[in-house]
Amino acid sequence: MAVETEEGMLVRVQQENFSIDQELERVRARSTRIGGIAMFLGTARDHSKGHDVSSMTFEHYEGMAQKKLKEIRERALQDFDIIEALVLHRYGPIEIGENIVLIIIGAEHRADAFKACQWCIDELKKITPIWKMEYTPQGDVWVEEHP
Amino acid sequence: MVHVRLFGMLKTLVAGVSMLEIPLSDGAQVKDLVNSLHTQYPDLGELLLQKKVVVSVNQEVAHWETALVESDEIALLPPFAGGA
Repeated sequence: MAVETEEGMLVRVQQENFSIDQELERVRARSTRIGGIAMFLGTARDHSKGHDVSSMTFEHYEGMAQKKLKEIRERALQDFDIIEALVLHRYGPIEIGENIVLIIIGAEHRADAFKACQWCIDELKKITPIWKMEYTPQGDVWVEEHP
Repeated sequence: MVHVRLFGMLKTLVAGVSMLEIPLSDGAQVKDLVNSLHTQYPDLGELLLQKKVVVSVNQEVAHWETALVESDEIALLPPFAGGA
């Protein structure tokens, strides 16, 4: 049960901000075999597609979003030579400069950690039902796609 | 009758509502739902026909031949924009 709870903490969709130090420690504590940790942190920027952005809101499909992040973690653990993966995304209102998304990969060596980290964020953008509304001087805009 | 959840920009196409009730006959498939939506909400229907919006059934992306029952959790998903 304790293991399940800890695994649940490794895949989360939450409204509140997160501590990068705490999440890093969560991954590091999973195994003393970890020798390399790669991280991707996505933050809210004040400019998008040529217009200023004053803040944003993320909407998610409760249940399906969590399910897809869990799938991403499980596939990363299966397909890459890594030891642990953490995938976390926020929803609700987010101010400029705040944290949005965090991927942390623990591996024995850096190459696999980097590869898995890139794959996780790319896959998250492809398959996770999360949407972003940006607030701009021209009005509120639902963002359609990101590169 | 099925209930269809709407997310993101799709709500702006149907007067801001986040749930639609669509009458469907027994044995209906996703394509029947799409046809019905297209009749009632042409702009939304076009996005579905162009596959810019996908249909999920019980939290999995569905095909047009996926059979529907009243208790299914159905949602229309516009292009995702998670990440940063």
